[in-house]
Amino acid sequence: MKMVKLEAVTKKFGAFTAVDHASYTIEKGEAFALLGPNGAGKTTIVRMLLDFVKPSSGRITIAGLPSSDPCSRRQVGYVAEQLLIPPYLSGFEYLSRHAAFIGIPGKEVKKNVDRVLETVSMKGEEGRRSAEYSKGMRQRMGLASALLGDPALLILDEPTIGLDPIGIRDVRNILEHLHDQGVTVILNSHMLSEAERTCETAAIMVKGKILVKDAVNAIVKDHETLEDVFFRYLGQVK
Amino acid sequence: MKHVLKITAYTLRDQLRHKSVYVLFGISILFILLIRGCYDGRYTVNGRMVDNQAIAWHVSKTVFHLIAGGMYLMAAMISMKLFSRDREDGSMVLFLSRSVFRREYVLGRVTGTWLLCLVFMLLLHLTIFLTAWSKTGTFIPAYPVASLVVSINLLFVIACVSLLSLFMPDFISAMFTMGILLIGFISDGGHRILTSDLVRAAAPSMVDSEPALWRMLYPKVFMVQAYADSLLSNSPFHNMGSVHPILNIAIFILLIMVSVLAAFDRKEI
Repeated sequence: MKMVKLEAVTKKFGAFTAVDHASYTIEKGEAFALLGPNGAGKTTIVRMLLDFVKPSSGRITIAGLPSSDPCSRRQVGYVAEQLLIPPYLSGFEYLSRHAAFIGIPGKEVKKNVDRVLETVSMKGEEGRRSAEYSKGMRQRMGLASALLGDPALLILDEPTIGLDPIGIRDVRNILEHLHDQGVTVILNSHMLSEAERTCETAAIMVKGKILVKDAVNAIVKDHETLEDVFFRYLGQVK
Repeated sequence: MKHVLKITAYTLRDQLRHKSVYVLFGISILFILLIRGCYDGRYTVNGRMVDNQAIAWHVSKTVFHLIAGGMYLMAAMISMKLFSRDREDGSMVLFLSRSVFRREYVLGRVTGTWLLCLVFMLLLHLTIFLTAWSKTGTFIPAYPVASLVVSINLLFVIACVSLLSLFMPDFISAMFTMGILLIGFISDGGHRILTSDLVRAAAPSMVDSEPALWRMLYPKVFMVQAYADSLLSNSPFHNMGSVHPILNIAIFILLIMVSVLAAFDRKEI
């Protein structure tokens, strides 16, 4: 079953083309990495998936529903690249608000919040105001919000930015665990090592174009790392 | 609908976390405490004592309009940051990354802000109503009703600022809205003076002249207040044109809200 489908998606900002005829599908349960240098258009694709930005042309569907339909986000967990949490909210209030819109009954909110806090190692910090959180703590809280309600699709836009090595390892473990449970993962990153360890398929994107989308082991030739592949494709474009 | 109610509740809670709301409320209460002195005074005109109840009546009516005018300004100040603050602090992404329709988000935010301003204004009006009643025994039964009538103007201000803030800087959108109100106050206020009994008696020909069409179609914020005033005084209401001002404002609110929803739907988050 196709979880995400992009059909000839183009996004233009004035004369600048951020995404140029991007087409690919992500199967249910697939862990997919979208790789590319800064400004390649990766975040624009993520924002189109969430309908934060409308495509100039083309069509995006999530679990068969157009991305413009909010119901398509019912089972989506999202971690933004630079996660902002309203500074006046405590971690618990932030997660409770997410829980309210996921449809978790009031009585079960605490239990669910405690579970995800435990997962991201933030138990005990939920009472503090988010203004007091470090960048890494905010990222963990963002990941906790994405894990609420057991999402079928997890969209992570540079989730390890700002995290220390322990945090990066924790995120990797969480992603591997979720992937084992059949959760579809879209990892948007320029951390190639991260993508190579966590994902089974990858696409390389440069200047708005998807250059290749395949299984990681099909993209990477013998004795090459994903990093070598990335620079090989980058060199082709230049 | 469920999402609209949730966002409305969150909006009320979020607004009440801002210190500026309490500062404004404090200033308003201070203003009312100062006004209280008017009800205690003994006034003499041409050597004759003026009836305390008559004074209370006029003071209450004047303060009613002052509070309403102040609330328009406050509503504009609160609503000018409705979307930009949400964008800056991550609230917008919080709501819209979930299965929330953009229209639900906008309606929830606008309704929450309106309810906050409405309750705020009602509390201030009720304070005056009770002060006049307790100090002088002057009971103005239409006072709370008139307050609710005027609250439709608050919704107009909030909707208007919300729409303009999608296209222009926050403060400019608030000032632009106040400008719209000011033009209406000058235009409709002028009409009210022309149709007053005094002018009717002095120059009947001026009263008969029909106001220009734009003046009749213009948002009737002032005329809603004049209508509330007529409720307070239990006097006849002289309308401008054939459309009742409440209907005029309601139509404007509807049109503006449709525009807000359409414009916000195209906005990038």
